[in-house]
Amino acid sequence: MIYCYNCGRHLSKPDFCTSCGADVALYKKIMHISNMYYNEGLEKAGVRDLTGAVVSLRQSLKFNKNNLNARNLLGLVYFEMGEVVTALSEWVISKNIQPEKNIADEYIEKVRSNSTRLDSVNQTIKKYNRSLALCMQGSKDLAVIQLKKVLSMNPRFIRAHQLLALLYMDGEDWEHAERELRKCMEIDKNNLQTLRYLKEVEAMLMPDETVRQPMKRRREEAIRYQSENELIIRPVNVKEPKRSGMSTLVNLGIGLAIGMAGIYFLVVPAARSEVRNEDQQVITKISSESDAKTARIQELEDQISKLQADMEELSGKIDGFVGEDGTLQSIERLLAASAAYLESRDVFAAETELLSIGQSVDMGAMTEGYGRLYQAVFSAIKPELATSYFTQGSNYYRIAEYAEAVSAFQKAVEYNAEDIESLFMLGEAYRMGGDEENAIATYDKVMELFPGTWRASIAKQSKSRLTGIW
Amino acid sequence: MINFEEELKKFHPSLEVEEAEDAIYNQDLTDMAELVVKMIMRSGRGNAQGLDEEQ
Repeated sequence: MIYCYNCGRHLSKPDFCTSCGADVALYKKIMHISNMYYNEGLEKAGVRDLTGAVVSLRQSLKFNKNNLNARNLLGLVYFEMGEVVTALSEWVISKNIQPEKNIADEYIEKVRSNSTRLDSVNQTIKKYNRSLALCMQGSKDLAVIQLKKVLSMNPRFIRAHQLLALLYMDGEDWEHAERELRKCMEIDKNNLQTLRYLKEVEAMLMPDETVRQPMKRRREEAIRYQSENELIIRPVNVKEPKRSGMSTLVNLGIGLAIGMAGIYFLVVPAARSEVRNEDQQVITKISSESDAKTARIQELEDQISKLQADMEELSGKIDGFVGEDGTLQSIERLLAASAAYLESRDVFAAETELLSIGQSVDMGAMTEGYGRLYQAVFSAIKPELATSYFTQGSNYYRIAEYAEAVSAFQKAVEYNAEDIESLFMLGEAYRMGGDEENAIATYDKVMELFPGTWRASIAKQSKSRLTGIW
Repeated sequence: MINFEEELKKFHPSLEVEEAEDAIYNQDLTDMAELVVKMIMRSGRGNAQGLDEEQ
């Protein structure tokens, strides 16, 4: 169907538009040429001359870019050649020209719906481009590896086959090159590049054909002569074997021997190889199982080590609580000291135990409640301790045991710093014990802390007596 | 005898999916039919209505 370029109406046989009168002779010819090229392309594609089909279809589109059949077929041909992106491009343009009722839409959808396939195609193209770059850099071995991967993913990629063949040819691996080129031929029968490479490869694979040919001919040479009505052909180099009973037996024996040897050399190794393969498979299976178990063992060992470490850490923590100097022990001691004091009211025993606890326990590391209990018990016994030590000091003072008196008064002052009597008596004990320096210092403290008191004036007199300054 | 280096120059990188959009936009879609129609329009051999519109 051809439509008028001017009014868009369907054109009939005349060389002008029956609707608007426009001259359409040349235009119709162009459309026909485009269709002719399309038909040619279709025929070529049908016989797998894909390169020829591409040329014809491109030509068709040069005449009429809106020839959607040609464009869609061109896309299909590109797709068959492994050029997926180029194929997609043609179909997208086709769809853009005619968005509705266009088979290109179906093609695009088929490619796009399988995202894994599209991704794989893109990977293939990237790998092909990378291998081409590797070839340019001279890394031919790597390029071969990459191209093999490309072809395993997209076996119809002609350019990859050709490049791989070229690499094989460069490495003089003519058999492999031929194999790749034959694959190309299966996809595209008339690719000029493939044919050129194949010619070169075939020339390299059969260089001495011309030399062998005369030998064959020589072997085929025979004497021909006419005997009455028959043409007798007698080969020159063929000898008629002589046959006898003995030779038949010998031949049989030789045949048997060859048969046995054949069995020994062909069947037995094959059987052995099969057994070896089975063994190998078993070994591989066992090995893989062993690897898996080793990995599992390693994993479990790691787990054990971790658990061991956790256990040691927890053990340390438990020791911290339960051990000899542990938290629980300290709590127990404090509670016991508190209970003993409450039961017996023995302030000296309570003092000794509390001081011992205070020295052995790091109060900062203990709980708040523990610290509060310790301080509460100590505060409770301090006034009584101060009184008791004052009494004790006074007793020692009376019997002139001034050193012990000093010690007792010091404790009394420590537990009750506001008791003027204890402080004054400490000064007196120092003085009586002959420690004038400490006595003066203590009198100074009395005067400083309790100025204007009776004890302060006595302390002042006692100090004057010692210093001789009034 | 095929020269590897020379042959290698004939191979070009393949279009990647990301490059498809550019390839489509940059494709020259001018065809013979378009050129002929323009020529007909310019030469004044089209119908009167068509010519009037063109002018």
